[in-house]
Amino acid sequence: MDAHLWISGVVYGLSMGSIFFLLAAGLSLCFGLMRIISLDQLLYYSLGAYVAYQVNVSTGLTWPAMLCGALAAGALSWVVERWVFDRIYAREITFTMITSFGILVAGVGAIKYVWGLVPRPMGIPVEAQVALLGVNVPVYRIIVIGIAGAVYGAIQWLLNRTIVGTAIRAAVEDVDQVEGLGVDVYRLFTGTFVGAGVLSGLAGALHGPLVMVDPQMGLEVVPFVFMVVIIGGLGSLKGTLVSAFLVGQVVSLGSLVYAPLAQMAPFAAMLLILLWKPTGLYGSALLRR
Amino acid sequence: MSHPDGALVVEGLHVGYGEAQVLFDVHLAVPRGRLAACVGRNGAGKTTLLRTIAGFLRPRAGSVRYGSVDLVGRKPYEVARMGIRYVQQDKRVFADLTVRENLRLASYATGDWDWDVVFKYFPRLKGLLDRKGGYLSGGERQMLMIGRALLGRPKVLLIDEPTEGLAPAVVEQLGRVFEELKGQATLLMVEQNLPLVGRVADVVYAVKEGRVVAEITDPDAIRSGAVEAYL
Amino acid sequence: MSRRLRWWAGILIPFGVLAVARWVLPLPFLVEVLIFSVYTMACNFLLGRVGFISFGQPAYLAAGAYGTAFYLYYFGRDPLLGILAGLASGLLFSAVVGLVFVRLRSDYFALVNLALAVIVYHLMQKVLAPITKGDNGLWFLDRMTSTPVLDLTRPDGFVWFAWLVAVAVWALYKALDDTVFGACCLATKTNEDKVKFLGYHDFKIRWTAFVLANTTAALAGSLYGVYFGFVSPEMASAARAADPVVVTILGGTGTLYGPLVGALAYVGMKDLVSGVVGNWEFFVGLLLVVIMLAGERGIWGTLEPWLRRRWAWRRPAPALQE
Repeated sequence: MDAHLWISGVVYGLSMGSIFFLLAAGLSLCFGLMRIISLDQLLYYSLGAYVAYQVNVSTGLTWPAMLCGALAAGALSWVVERWVFDRIYAREITFTMITSFGILVAGVGAIKYVWGLVPRPMGIPVEAQVALLGVNVPVYRIIVIGIAGAVYGAIQWLLNRTIVGTAIRAAVEDVDQVEGLGVDVYRLFTGTFVGAGVLSGLAGALHGPLVMVDPQMGLEVVPFVFMVVIIGGLGSLKGTLVSAFLVGQVVSLGSLVYAPLAQMAPFAAMLLILLWKPTGLYGSALLRR
Repeated sequence: MSHPDGALVVEGLHVGYGEAQVLFDVHLAVPRGRLAACVGRNGAGKTTLLRTIAGFLRPRAGSVRYGSVDLVGRKPYEVARMGIRYVQQDKRVFADLTVRENLRLASYATGDWDWDVVFKYFPRLKGLLDRKGGYLSGGERQMLMIGRALLGRPKVLLIDEPTEGLAPAVVEQLGRVFEELKGQATLLMVEQNLPLVGRVADVVYAVKEGRVVAEITDPDAIRSGAVEAYL
Repeated sequence: MSRRLRWWAGILIPFGVLAVARWVLPLPFLVEVLIFSVYTMACNFLLGRVGFISFGQPAYLAAGAYGTAFYLYYFGRDPLLGILAGLASGLLFSAVVGLVFVRLRSDYFALVNLALAVIVYHLMQKVLAPITKGDNGLWFLDRMTSTPVLDLTRPDGFVWFAWLVAVAVWALYKALDDTVFGACCLATKTNEDKVKFLGYHDFKIRWTAFVLANTTAALAGSLYGVYFGFVSPEMASAARAADPVVVTILGGTGTLYGPLVGALAYVGMKDLVSGVVGNWEFFVGLLLVVIMLAGERGIWGTLEPWLRRRWAWRRPAPALQE
């Protein structure tokens, strides 16, 4: 097949993987630290996209609009954390999963109410293309990839080089012990949850110009984000990055081979990986409370 | 009985998990600067008692006071920040964190970055700063756990089974440390090693099936191991 | 003899009330409640008895519905055989899928099932579009032939058929609770390791439970197919993935009547709310959160102890020779 097609396919897959990573990283961190599965992250993703769209339409700005989207998502996640999750951290995982699914469904309902059912197009910040190995590639997609890389670096720096990161890593191992030392773990929880919300909102805002902004967008990425999280292993950041790009590539290159199969190929990949390693590529046995 | 300021006083404590009640009407009082030891069989409720005082469990009834402050209903980190530090059993340090990171975390929580006090009691930790918790021996872990708890000038130390499974030489060292700590903090300890208890304890509470069945304050009785009769 | 009678009374009384309601409530409402309660029963068994939480129930619902639809659209005309075809396809589908899924830890299980629902949706909507007619769906209402005794092609015949099916499903699950298998399921939920030590094969128990429950969900799908005479990919939509879980919890997880009460409340609420505001998703989500925060016992879980107390107070003390 045409080499040019493959190169643009790889770039497309990387940018898509970047969006998946931004979404899944928060989900994965929340699992590692609080032992919750926060399906409502997908609501923050949708909200981030809608707010970015709204600001973009009203002001014509693009990057600031995306920032607004991420911040609005963070604000909503803060409210949800204070009102809902703060009461249910001690419960089992399935409990948080069901509750957060309720939040997601309610939120999608609210979005439909405010913005309607019709998909909305969103302005792209950078229209330019750049030649890469002789192939014209949209600069915006490369920026998205760069942002995901920067976020990964920032999270790693935070976890390994700062005292708060040390506290988070310690709490992933044994939260009671951290609290026994006198660390206010609930603030860590809030911070992590809101951080995840901001990342999800950022993912939605960045994804907006690449797809249409529509009420179902959160539910549509659900399977892909889950695949990323599951393949990578719940709670592992490195695994999340690896599997995000893996799923991105499988979807992108898969669609070059046979378009209708692109939606299914990652699922097949996931099944194979789970058959081989039931807790994902990097899911460790250490992650037990 | 009057309790001078700085005493740890537990009164009428009832604690349970779900349907099962573990502690029944527990009373105890540890005067400031003294060491009290809880002895009793496995499952008697000793660890539950320490966890309740430290704020990890909420009692059904009763009070836990330090001086004039009521501890019931406070979160564990608040209790810890008040200077009431809980050293858990099973020598749980963060396996993935180095000794340095373990200490830094405690410093971060308490605001006390002066580690001299740790090294004064446990000089050995000084050479192990860059070793991960998972690669420490049982004794070294226990030293790290107690050392961590010493940061921030604790007023009360709740220590759960510190010598379990440790070599006699290490137990001996820990015993000396406890004797020295007594002057500076109030200690409440769960300990099965009766000779050690006989050496360091000022008060011994025998716990049986969730109740305190004896409070022994006579030094001779403690030293002679009369406690054993209540187990 | 009287014990058996009392056993059946536990099922026939509530369903008898429902049968009488046939002359009070609108027919489509009753049919929806009956089918939905069967659908929810499967989820209730998984969640309350085996400890599996699945956000992928629409996948199994669609497996049954499409089994029925394929048969009635391409091969035969008899709705009863169509339902059998749906059951068979549901059985086959969940048996194969179960081999992989049952091995997963509960959190992975929930997520993988949701992914499966989306895959089935895409499969039916795009990949298999030549056979499934994509979003247009398969219409076979006028292809179905009338059946003797109870005419499934007519709503007033179908409602009794659905009623019978629901009673049978209830009897099955109630009977299951009293068997060793039922006890094993509950035991795997509580402590997998101990079940293994007792010498029971953990995988087999979970797999059987998985297949049983999801075949039940497929049965509900078949019933929908025959009732509407129409099946579309919408059935596997992830947007509806939460429904059975919501209704299970709404009714009271793990209780016998929870699914019935939940289905009644949910369908009723959906009809009422959508009549007023049209945006019922929002309320369903909100309701789920509120129930969870309120203690997750659900309607029946809250009512049952209260009813029991009232009942015990009115009735003289039970005779000892029972």
